[in-house]
Amino acid sequence: MLKDLKQQIERLRAAGATYVDARWYPYEESNALTMWNGNLKDASSSRESGVGIRVLYKGAWGFSASSDVSNPTGLFDKAFDNARISAERVTFPIRLAEKDALQATFNSPTKIDPFVVSLSDKISFLKEMDEKLNQPGVLQRVGELIFMRKQIVFVDSEGSEIEKNIVEVFPGIMVMGVDEQGVSHQRSFSPGRIADTRGWETIDRGIFLENAERIVREMKEVLVADECPKEDRSVILLPGIMFLQTHETIGHALELDRILGYELAYAGGSFVTLDDFGKLRYGSPKLTARADATLTNTPGSFGYDDDGVPAQDNLLIDKGILVGAITGRQMVEEANARAKKQIFKGSSGANRATAFYRVPIERMTNINIDPGEDGTLDDIVKSTERGIILDGTKSWSIGSNREQFHFATDIGWLVEDGKIQQVVKNSTYKGDTLKFYNSLSAVGDKSTWQVEYVNNCGKGQPNQIMQLGHGVPVCRFDNVRIGE
Amino acid sequence: MKEKILQILADLRAYAIGKGIEATFFYHEEDSYLMRFANSAISLNTNEHLIRLEITAYEGRKRASYALITDLGKLEEMKQGIDIAGEMVKHAQPLNYDPTIPVYTETFVDEGGFDPALASLSNEERLAYFNRLAGNLETNDVKLGGIFSSGSNIVAAANTRSEHSIYIKTSDAQVTAVLSHAKLKWEVIAEQSAWQKSDLTPEALHDDLAFLLERYQNDAPQQIPLGRYDIVFGPAATGDLISFMNWIGFSGGALKRGFSCLKEEQVGQKVFSDKFTLLDEPARLETFPSKIDLMGIKRSTFPLIENGVFKGFTWYQDDADEFGAQPTGHTVMHKSLWLKPGDFPAATLRELIEQPRDNDILYIPYLHYMNLVNPSKGVVTASSRFGALLLKKDGSIVVPYNVRVTQSLFDIFGDKVAWMSKAETVNNTSSSYGARNPTSVILPTFIRVNDLEISHSNSSY
Repeated sequence: MLKDLKQQIERLRAAGATYVDARWYPYEESNALTMWNGNLKDASSSRESGVGIRVLYKGAWGFSASSDVSNPTGLFDKAFDNARISAERVTFPIRLAEKDALQATFNSPTKIDPFVVSLSDKISFLKEMDEKLNQPGVLQRVGELIFMRKQIVFVDSEGSEIEKNIVEVFPGIMVMGVDEQGVSHQRSFSPGRIADTRGWETIDRGIFLENAERIVREMKEVLVADECPKEDRSVILLPGIMFLQTHETIGHALELDRILGYELAYAGGSFVTLDDFGKLRYGSPKLTARADATLTNTPGSFGYDDDGVPAQDNLLIDKGILVGAITGRQMVEEANARAKKQIFKGSSGANRATAFYRVPIERMTNINIDPGEDGTLDDIVKSTERGIILDGTKSWSIGSNREQFHFATDIGWLVEDGKIQQVVKNSTYKGDTLKFYNSLSAVGDKSTWQVEYVNNCGKGQPNQIMQLGHGVPVCRFDNVRIGE
Repeated sequence: MKEKILQILADLRAYAIGKGIEATFFYHEEDSYLMRFANSAISLNTNEHLIRLEITAYEGRKRASYALITDLGKLEEMKQGIDIAGEMVKHAQPLNYDPTIPVYTETFVDEGGFDPALASLSNEERLAYFNRLAGNLETNDVKLGGIFSSGSNIVAAANTRSEHSIYIKTSDAQVTAVLSHAKLKWEVIAEQSAWQKSDLTPEALHDDLAFLLERYQNDAPQQIPLGRYDIVFGPAATGDLISFMNWIGFSGGALKRGFSCLKEEQVGQKVFSDKFTLLDEPARLETFPSKIDLMGIKRSTFPLIENGVFKGFTWYQDDADEFGAQPTGHTVMHKSLWLKPGDFPAATLRELIEQPRDNDILYIPYLHYMNLVNPSKGVVTASSRFGALLLKKDGSIVVPYNVRVTQSLFDIFGDKVAWMSKAETVNNTSSSYGARNPTSVILPTFIRVNDLEISHSNSSY
């Protein structure tokens, strides 16, 4: 197969293509189990394989994909034909940033492959969690296990040949109850990434049992809590919501294709302009954010992106100043040309596709906030006069240029004079992105820093679901509107 | 092709029976084309031909499924899938209810929603369509973006309980055209949905874009004050709101699990404006309908809301099994939603603007990134985007920066509804996550709702 792909790449190069690559998925497998109120509602597996072909011709892309690899000539020709028609409407001929031709392999660190664990063992875990969650006041209880395993072979016309073998594990539990007004409330738990691996061994029964008890307790507290007040307060975001805040208003805002207008017709743009790099005060000096694809234990680390560029750890925001973006080979060239200066030295290695039948686009890796020097969560609470601690991702809605946002959380704890006072329900907060990050007044230390994962980030047309991570500390922001 | 697919399903059925495996088979084939535009160029031109087969095996109350992306020539691979599902189900845990396995009493074939001319559009035709809709509107600063997504879909199903099969073939196209200002960061939009080639009229999109463009190019945008406004929603905004209502309102399973904004005691009660009638209408081909569900239940007009009165919940078969309810023919990939029109005469934005106004009206054509703040109360939040206008009572027009609306669906579609237009628009709500599933909602082109709160108003784009 590999030999066929290389021959086809050479054939299209000889026919005039500037660049050609192929992503061959010998296999991609998934296994999903959902137990809902004791019923194993979903026990499913899937497998797919195929090839995606990308061709650059006269400054324009063409793409074609199929699970049928019996006619590689036809498949490559289709991609070439698609590029030919694209070349009839070009405004900025695509160029690709320089990279090294690599022969490399990446294996995600895994001790126990979840696909060799028996179905019975997986169900046994879910049953144990279900029994733990089955408490008075809990109307719905859900346990979920999702496993993914894939092999990707990348070859291109520049001499790269990269094999990736990736395993992912996404476990979670959730409880839901209904208050006296008939309003549903839920709490959930998905474990942060603690160890250095990504396999079945990361599912720690003890941690799950401890958190099952916690989320039931907290959900029941919410059911009898007062409404979140409608006023301005300091908000203290725990990692369970800070990761999503980071994702939506730093991660997506700094995808270079969005900044350049390539997502304007659907996902939206970004308030950031090319003039802002090196100058824009994105947040207070306490804010340092990075795109770190070198963390070992999260789905935002993949060794090499789908341009064949190695994983990197790059600063995005340095002590509050915007310095970097999430980039692939195409966009950095266009951005530098449009800006008439070199903003980006090269691709940051963040061009990824969700499947063989989708084209790579700029995707987040692990968009992290560095831990700060404001101590533990207790320390931050003690230094807060009038605030609210927030956790859980009930709802999120972001402006089309990521300029403003509205979040609802699962739980809130009011803080008065440095002490936690009471739980409130239906907690929300909203703000303008730059004003919000410039109000960052405390960043928790390493003890508060946690790696959360996202397994359902959507972007692009056709839509692509991507997996990635966020390492974030507890953060406090001042004068934020809550309760609306 | 149809005969080959039905034969493969028959072969798989025979294999499963031979192996003693009780099973259902769901076949999905898509031929998808997407031409994407950005910065006035074709930024992506792609096509995928994918065949998905999902096999669900049953053993008493136990159930397990295996899905694969495959090809018609790989019968052995499909049979292996049956073996895997058959092995998985042995280790599954019994449900506490009996899952229904369908029995089809006749073979059902429907190709009425398939137009070969639309399904076989060429690259050149897609590009020509976009060139026509954009004609003379692009400048150095105003760039064209959008998508032309088109293709065909085959859904087929069979099972070991009956010899018959289901086969439904549709064609579809979704066009989104956006003109955006590269520096000022505003955008205007025009959209079209098609189930047949004759639905594609680029001239109509050109007119819509030209009209909005004139406003956005020549008028200085303003931050409008927070407060309450009379709002006219365009079809994309209303389509999103109706889709959310469908998501959190009508499912019997969601009701029983406590996630529905509509309650059992509201059946037969007036919960929305008497101007509000919402149907599931599989006779409308614009909705890419299923006239039969995957359980073999024939589908016909199903009233959800009639003159504001909630008529009843819809039941997916598995929910009906779990909660002891009667299935309603809603084990489908999507409903065929039709919000019936009113009598307001405006059919286009030009006509809307020309109507006399008794108050300032905020026109919101599109709501971006809608999400549920409080599902039980039907509270949603979203931002305006793509060509909002503040139509002043004195006849002048202001271009507003984007605003946020956080409101209950009961408020939006309750007694504050002032009118709905007589003209209808098909709003294509397809999502291309996973398998192709063309979906649309038929709506009044404009709906006016009075006295809704704007909770956030941008000071820039």
